[in-house]
Amino acid sequence: MMVASRNLRLCTKDCMCLFVCPTGATDTESGQIDASKCLDGCRLCVDACPGGAIYLVPRNYPKPQPKREDVVKALFALAESKVKTRALANGLGDDYPLARKALDFSLEVLAEDCVREGGYMLPQSVVTKEFLKDLRERYGDDPAFPVKAVERLLDLL
Amino acid sequence: MGAFNHGELTVICTNLRKACEKQLRSEEAALFGNLATYFSGKTECPGQATLQEIGAVIDEELATLYPQANEQAEAAGDRGTKRALLWGEKVTRLHKSFLMRLERNPKLLDETPVWVCESCGFLFVGAVSPAICPICKVPNIKIHKMEVR
Repeated sequence: MMVASRNLRLCTKDCMCLFVCPTGATDTESGQIDASKCLDGCRLCVDACPGGAIYLVPRNYPKPQPKREDVVKALFALAESKVKTRALANGLGDDYPLARKALDFSLEVLAEDCVREGGYMLPQSVVTKEFLKDLRERYGDDPAFPVKAVERLLDLL
Repeated sequence: MGAFNHGELTVICTNLRKACEKQLRSEEAALFGNLATYFSGKTECPGQATLQEIGAVIDEELATLYPQANEQAEAAGDRGTKRALLWGEKVTRLHKSFLMRLERNPKLLDETPVWVCESCGFLFVGAVSPAICPICKVPNIKIHKMEVR
């Protein structure tokens, strides 16, 4: 299953997508394609767009590439260190508000990249689903824990 | 999974939130965002820290964690991990140099803006951001100027 989406940064408003769309899904006030009207895999607008601004967003994804255990361990050691550095950076105090913000953002990106390569790349993967179930098991007793978010994610993914 | 601390759980959730955004799954993205907020709120705060303390953790990463991880990724033929390590190590060296500049001149950012690339973490001090990220080559629409209210 795939629906079309418009990259608004690339769209040059040539309107070919409006001419070819059999359902009117491409003509909306938001400038984005109406996914509920878009025909699964139709791609007429994708092929007609002179700017290459429309792409198909897949709904189904293959199983992620397997990762070697020692590599995962090394990536998580790095992620842990990035998280530690991030906490320290946030302890820099009010003398360095911008430096703190820049380091926090940059370290978030670095830590995320480590966990992504370490197996948490695809929201629909078995790894992610097991992760969510473990969270529910471990934090479900805390009334502040958004357990409904976990349940809903397990339904949706 | 029991081994992950709250800071790690936060970045796993923000990473999955961003992945959902890229798949245009806004409901799922918001739900991962809720989880990230929960774990971020629980993240242990070590209190006041110094530039030198941060620098020490970075030195350790550059001396041992990156070389070890690189060796394992090389042996496994894991090019995705090698890419993450290549970018990450470059950005980490920039962090080190940034900290040393701040140490020499605590007012470094009073006059000059600081920028961060949302795709690779590239950190840059300068009046304008480069047109293309020198590390990951993304256009500078993804390189953000840091601002505080």
